[in-house]
Amino acid sequence: MSWFTGAWERFSNAFLEKDRYLSFLKGFGMTLEISLFAVILGVVLGILLAVAKYMAANHKSCRPLGWIANVYITVIRGTPVYVQMLIIYYLILTARGIPAIVSGVLCFGINSSAYVAEIIRAGIEAVDRGQMEAGRSLGLSEMQTMKEIIMPQAVRNILPALGNEFIVLIKETAVIGGITVLDVTKAAMNVGASSYDYLTPLLIAAAMYLVVVIILTKLLSMLERRLAKSDRR
Amino acid sequence: MIDVKNLHKSFGDKQVLCGIDEHIEKGEKVVVIGPSGSGKSTFLRCLNLLEKPTQGSIVFEGSDITAASGKELNRIRQKMGMVFQHFNLFPHLTIRKNITLAPVKLGLMSQAEADKKASELLLRVGLPEKADQYPAQLSGGQKQRIAIVRSLAMNPDVMLFDEPTSALDPEMVREVLDFMKQLATDGMTMVVVTHEMGFAREVGSRVLFMDEGRIVEQNKPEEFFAHPRDARLQEFLSKVL
Repeated sequence: MSWFTGAWERFSNAFLEKDRYLSFLKGFGMTLEISLFAVILGVVLGILLAVAKYMAANHKSCRPLGWIANVYITVIRGTPVYVQMLIIYYLILTARGIPAIVSGVLCFGINSSAYVAEIIRAGIEAVDRGQMEAGRSLGLSEMQTMKEIIMPQAVRNILPALGNEFIVLIKETAVIGGITVLDVTKAAMNVGASSYDYLTPLLIAAAMYLVVVIILTKLLSMLERRLAKSDRR
Repeated sequence: MIDVKNLHKSFGDKQVLCGIDEHIEKGEKVVVIGPSGSGKSTFLRCLNLLEKPTQGSIVFEGSDITAASGKELNRIRQKMGMVFQHFNLFPHLTIRKNITLAPVKLGLMSQAEADKKASELLLRVGLPEKADQYPAQLSGGQKQRIAIVRSLAMNPDVMLFDEPTSALDPEMVREVLDFMKQLATDGMTMVVVTHEMGFAREVGSRVLFMDEGRIVEQNKPEEFFAHPRDARLQEFLSKVL
């Protein structure tokens, strides 16, 4: 019983006292905002990269596009996101006075796009070759076959992996405090500094990440189930 | 109808077709047989340019396919139906959609017209109740019959069959062959790569034997099976008959 009251006291000290929950909620909002914009940017850039790679693989004249995409993906995947973030921050912010959150969104969006591109490419390649042949042999163009036959099937391969990528991205944004953005992790650290207890606010922050991830996972599996409609036997 | 001249195809260093000359008339049912690796599937796939020949020409209804590209090639392919060994139905679409997708997207029919055509064809193939099911719910034989129907919906002038029964359980081969026979009787021009010697004998108007990238022998089926001249063909027939 005394353990429980002790725990409650620490929680109340970290979360309720001095309206500290407001800092958490603000930080949490910032985490979600950055993640959302970064995901959008990552998907848009990732699609462009995947298209470039697809064109390069299937049309000789587009080969240079593929080389560019490959260099981009290799560099992004081969360097730590924290270092990328610092580089973008000092490159953009100190030079032009743009808010740090923009650097954050850019960094995580660009970083995610490299992974998204590979996910999309793999998803398209996993569709049976015979599907493209069947479409083309009916007289459909390559674009029509892509749109009507390949992509609807590829999406089912892509979505689960893409969902995982979103989840990874949300968690990765926890390092954004390194460029002065007040996300939920940074907010927890600040609360820790002023309340002389780091453990409790960090546990609270962890719980907040966990809740988002669980909700996202649920939504994804619902979506997957809807997409699996044609698998019925 | 199809005029093939000096057709060569190689994959890297491997020469698969070594100079094929062949003329296919309207209404003919040409059956291509031969050991695996003889190039018969590659030959068939060259006819609608799923494989791009390394050399030679293929003239279909007056236009050179090997010179065609983009829109012209797509237009030519609309007139050449193709049936694959592994059916290649579109698993994310209902049977009806599988059949109507191409004619509708290519602007040849309205959705209503295509649906009507699909219903007629499904009735003809004896599967009218499958229209709203998905390919995964069908047996192999049913899938292949739907694949044939899907090609027929485009009103092709010629149908190419690439080992249409090789992936089927034995008891399902009959229903597919029967439907193909029916097509043949209706006068469809057909080029069929197959291991079904009974079908070749019964339905073929001409049988070609391919080996090592060449057409080694060809004849009317009775003569072809009764008096094979080439030694390799004799050996092949002795193994499969």
